[in-house]
Amino acid sequence: MVRENQSMNDHVGELLSGYIDGELNQQERQRVDVHCDACEQCRNERDELRRLREQVGQSRLSEYGEDKWRESMNDVTVKASRGFGWLLMIGGVLAAVGVGVFEFVTDPGIETYAKVIAGAVYGGLAILFISVLRQRLIERKTDKYKDVEI
Amino acid sequence: MRQQLAQLGNGAHALAIQILGNTDDAADAVHDAFAAVLAHPEKYDVSKGPLKPWFMRVVRNRCLDMLRRRRDTVTRVDEIQHPGGGPEQAVAQAQLGDAVRAALQSLPKDKGEIVILRDYLDLSYAEIADALNIAPGTVMSRLHRARLALKEALERNGERESKHE
Repeated sequence: MVRENQSMNDHVGELLSGYIDGELNQQERQRVDVHCDACEQCRNERDELRRLREQVGQSRLSEYGEDKWRESMNDVTVKASRGFGWLLMIGGVLAAVGVGVFEFVTDPGIETYAKVIAGAVYGGLAILFISVLRQRLIERKTDKYKDVEI
Repeated sequence: MRQQLAQLGNGAHALAIQILGNTDDAADAVHDAFAAVLAHPEKYDVSKGPLKPWFMRVVRNRCLDMLRRRRDTVTRVDEIQHPGGGPEQAVAQAQLGDAVRAALQSLPKDKGEIVILRDYLDLSYAEIADALNIAPGTVMSRLHRARLALKEALERNGERESKHE
């Protein structure tokens, strides 16, 4: 009788979760079994937790399918190869421009004033281009509505 | 590995939704996690355990990074696309999903994620401890508190709905 009262008053609490998950050792499992045989409150709670676990397990918390994730992974590969392609192209263009500028500047057949004028025109264009590009990149980073599709 | 990762996508997405509270951000987080794993597949050590808990940890870390970066702009979106028409079972499942999803979303992030890791993704306590980077001895008590909170939230939402009807 004393033992029964003890188990009634000493609720098993979190052990119920371990019990329904099969994470208790034999001694703890027995303790829960003995307690639940005598305590209706814990028995009900154990059953409710079991139902709750099934409910969560059966619900669809994400509505996508495996195909969506396969596509997502392919996209990763495509983006990586595209990034490498861009890198190669930009590197090649910069190298070509560098060689061109060097040839132009060191060419003795072109007058100095022509070099200065051409340098000013192309230099100005380059500064304008970089300035617009920089502005666009900053806007793209901070634009909250960039992903809105109309 | 790609096949395994594709199978883990939905579970990872559910976990990411719980952390970020937004379906699209969650999909981005999973996408980024795929990119990180595929870029360095050697980081996964088979001898240290299954892929699932390890990948969930990658996804979770990615979500926490995103939260840190986007703290100002994160908004909670409850609406998630449902599959197009189907049998009654699918409707009942969708309603069940709605109720559980809404209740999970109302919980603090740490409570919701531990429930998802155990009850939705079926990870063991040791795997949960690994995924959340917490002591294995604390998993049972945290999970129990989270389940009680979820039960309360479901009851509260159920009462609210019955009052509206």
